[in-house]
Parts: sequence; structure tokens; C-alpha cells
Amino acid sequence: MSEPRATILVIEDEPEIRRFLRASLGAEGYRVAESSGGRRGTIDAATHKPDMAIVDLGLPDLDGIQVIRTIREWSAMPILILSARSHEKSKIEALDAGADDYVTKPFAVGELLARVRVALRHSVRSASGERVLMLGLTRIDLEARLATRDGDDVRLTPIEFRLLAALARHLGLVATHRQLLTAVWGPSHAEDTHYLRIYMKQLRDKLEIDPVQPQYLLTETGIGYRLVASGES
Amino acid sequence: MEKQRPWDGYLWAAGTTAGCTLVALAMRPRFDLVNIAMVYLLAVVFVALRHSRGAAVTTALLCVVTLDIIFVPPVGAITVDDAQYLLTFAIMVAVALVISRLMEDVRRKSHAQAQLAIEAETERIRSTLLASISHDLRTPLAVLSGASSSLAQQGEQLTAAERQALAESVFRQSREMADHVAKVLEMTRLEGGSIELRRDWASLVEIAGAVIERLRERLATHRLIVEIPADLPLIRVDAGLIEQALTNLLENAARHTPEGTVVRLGARTSGNELVVSVEDYGGGLAECDVDRVFTKFHHGKVEGAGSGIGLGLAIARAIVRLHGGRAWAERVPSGGTVFRFSVPLEPAPPMPPEPA
Repeated sequence: MSEPRATILVIEDEPEIRRFLRASLGAEGYRVAESSGGRRGTIDAATHKPDMAIVDLGLPDLDGIQVIRTIREWSAMPILILSARSHEKSKIEALDAGADDYVTKPFAVGELLARVRVALRHSVRSASGERVLMLGLTRIDLEARLATRDGDDVRLTPIEFRLLAALARHLGLVATHRQLLTAVWGPSHAEDTHYLRIYMKQLRDKLEIDPVQPQYLLTETGIGYRLVASGES
Repeated sequence: MEKQRPWDGYLWAAGTTAGCTLVALAMRPRFDLVNIAMVYLLAVVFVALRHSRGAAVTTALLCVVTLDIIFVPPVGAITVDDAQYLLTFAIMVAVALVISRLMEDVRRKSHAQAQLAIEAETERIRSTLLASISHDLRTPLAVLSGASSSLAQQGEQLTAAERQALAESVFRQSREMADHVAKVLEMTRLEGGSIELRRDWASLVEIAGAVIERLRERLATHRLIVEIPADLPLIRVDAGLIEQALTNLLENAARHTPEGTVVRLGARTSGNELVVSVEDYGGGLAECDVDRVFTKFHHGKVEGAGSGIGLGLAIARAIVRLHGGRAWAERVPSGGTVFRFSVPLEPAPPMPPEPA
């Protein structure tokens, strides 16, 4: 509720889905603009200057991924995608193309609103450049590369710090394997998913209470990871 | 009938003739030529029973020539005046042709029967699927249309609490239905062979963690104990599908065992496999169920009771098999069932050294 009157552009061809999105986003105090197709949507995104866009991946006239690429050419506004369960591959493609997060259909409205809140908060924060993370009792200063818990040092290696920083750039949002691998090890290692598996395990061993059931470093199976800091939802 | 390469029959023809010759040589000191010829006839019958007509006739020819050369005096040559052995040859060829012909009939019929059995099985699955769908989807659909129409048409007369309850049951039933439909689609995709495995290095610990998180609400009725060693090797799998398989096993345990009982999730390496297990304390399956539980639409003892189309375990098994693994169930002495699946391990990929 901390971002009242933000305008959200909904690009979705199904009128029934637009109807309930309009109702529930409106009930939370957001202003809602609607486009029924991809071409219209890219134009509306430019003219309405919304604070955020919700894009359906299964648009009939223009590929949702194309819509995202077009918007990303000139805007850094948060983009949330709506995808069907059977479109795993295009979901990853959309995230790599610059979408910030996704919700899989069918979804509960609470889930969608939580993602919207995180995405809007994130876009405000990246401007201010917050660089300190609180993961439970662990305080991580990404700039100074210091991690402490109860005043004691938590020793993290340089790569572990870089991985945390890469995750923190998507704080609360999903970061794809490719995005993380490219950020930490460089583009030539974009396919070396096993690097991530090993280093995520190390990070969890150091930062989570129960590494099997993590609270902060969450797995998005087949897609990537999501860093959730204390006090985020 | 196993598939045979076309020249296999001819190898058998040569091999059988050679084998018979050894037997015949051993018999020579004590038996007449007539009886020795019978051994060769047996060779022809043997090849005709199991192989093609051509191979059988070849055997007949080889046998007559061998018989003539090795056993009919003068030994070591085919003699022209042994024309009577043309009769032997003719009889052997006749035997070869008759038996081959009979066997071809038998094979054709059994093939047709197998085809019929497959068609019957497909038909049975189709009708069970329809029956299950009508049972498992009709109820939620009835609730959906009843509750939502009540909200739309009588919203004013209802109390806020009643409206809330109706809306919640619409939500719950639609979730349930989405789940059913997803399972039917998944099974269709798996069986149609249209699934392309997106294999990548994955960690079972991570997959299990994601499944537990996803099923938190459903598993809240049971006591989940997780016993997964931290040092499991990575596996090269389609993580999304393996997550689905494990989800189905855990859902199955939660659905078919009494509330408050323990569900134990474990994993270990065994030889060059990773074995994942979900053990419950739900009274156990009957002996015959242990073998059938992974087949489609198998509901356990009480048909129709409880929800679920009985596709979850079949989907899990199809996924595991796609990965070259196995899925099976065992009864545990403590009175429950353990469902296991395995995936093959591959040599670990190289890691970059951590710069100091």
C-alpha cells in the first residue's frame, strides 16, 4: 500500500481476465490502463507512461516477448508476465528479455498483488541504490563486502559476494540462471548452471538456518533463484 | 516374437547343420545311415520352427550335402549315383516348407491378437479416463456454477460471511480442477512423446526444497521429516519435471494416509544412481497393489474415494522413465508404503577454481 495511485498497464487479450485484474488492482488503489493486444500495448506503454506493465505471454497479435523487448528499448518500468504452465521456455525467454517477474495462470489474486508490490518497490529502490541486506540476523554490506551475524564475521568468498550482489539487483524478484551466470562468471559461462548449484549451496550453508528449506535464497526450479530479504514479501 | 536381423536365420542354418554333424559323427559307430539322416531332419524342423522359409530350405540343402559328403560312402565326395538322396532332399525341403508355412500362420495370428489386446487396453484407458474426468470434474464444476450463480443472483440477500464462504469454495474448487486438468494434459503430453527433456545440472536438495515450499499447505496435515544428505551429487535432469514427479509422490502420500501421520522424504546414492524415497505410515498397500500402484487410474483399494484421478503416480513414473530411471513401491514392515524413484548419475562437471 506504500505506492498509492501507481498506474499499471495491463496488456491482455482475454476480457474476463482484464475484468478481474481491473477490479482487484483497483481495489488496492492502483490506477489501471488496459490494452487488448500486443501492438496496442506497446503504443499505450509509451503514451500512458505507466509505472508498471503486466503482460500476458500468450497474446494473439504480437509475441509477449516482443512486447517486452520493445518496452525495454526505452523504459526500465517493472514488467510482470502472466504465463501458462505449459510455456516454461518462453517464460525464461521473457525474463531474459527484461521482464522482472512472472505469475503462472491460474493464480490467486494475493499472489499477483504481492508480485506487483515487490516489483514497484524494487523500481523505486534501484534508483536509490540500497546496498545493505538483512537476511534474518545476518547483515550483509555488499559494497564493503562484509557480512556479520550477531557481531561475528560470516566469511563469504569474493564469488559468493558477487553472486549475492547479482541476486540483490533483483531483490524479491526472480533472477534467471543466465542473468546470474553472466553477472558473476561472464557471458562465456552463461550455460554453466552447475556453478550456480555449487555456490548457491555454499551460500545457503552459510546464511540459511535450514539449507534444505531456505527462507532467503529461494529456488525457482528450472528458471533461476529469488532472493527474499527480511521484511520483504 | 523378438526382432531378428534377416541374415540371422542363415547363420542358424549353418550353425544347426554343423551341430547336427557333430552329433551324427558321434552316432556313426553305432547307428545306421537312416537314423543319422533323422538327426538332420530334426535340424530342418528346428530351423523351420524358428526362422524364415529361406533359412529352412537352406538348412535342408546344407544337411543333404553334408550327409552325402560325410556319411554316404564314398566319404568325402558327392557321388552322382546317390540320386536317391535327391529324395531325402525333397522330403527335407517339403518338411521345411510345411513347417515354415504353419509357423507363419501362427505368428500372424499372435501378432493380430497382440494388436487387439493393445486396442482393448487403449479403449479401457480411454473409458476409465472419461469416467474419472466426469467424476472428478463434474463435482467441482457443479460447485463452481452453483456457488458463483448464487453470488451473482442472490448476492444482496446473503450475509457477508456466506458470500465469503461461497467465494472461497469457488476458489478452492477451481484450484482443484486446474490441478486435475493439468495432470490429464501432462499425462497426454508424456505419453504422446512430445516432451523434450531440458536437461541441466540440478541439485536434488534444491528441487526438494522447492517442492516442500510449494506443498506447504497440503502437507500441513502431516508430519514431514526430511532426510536428505547435504553432500548429494548433482544430477543432470529436467528439474521442472523431476520437481513434478516428487510433488506427485508427496501429494499422494498426503492424500492417502491419515492426518497426523509421518511422511518421510529421503534421498541417497546407490551405485551410479540417485534414489529418492517418500515413505508413509498409512497402513500400507495390499501385495498386489504394490505392483499396480504406478499404473494409470489406480486408486488403491477404495475406488472413487478420495480425490484425484489416480494419474499422479503414473505421471511420476513416466517422467522418471524418460530420464532413464525407475519408479517402484515397497511395503515397509512398520505398516506403510515407500515409493522410490531413481535417476542415473553422471560424472560431475568441472568447477572453476575460486580466485583467492
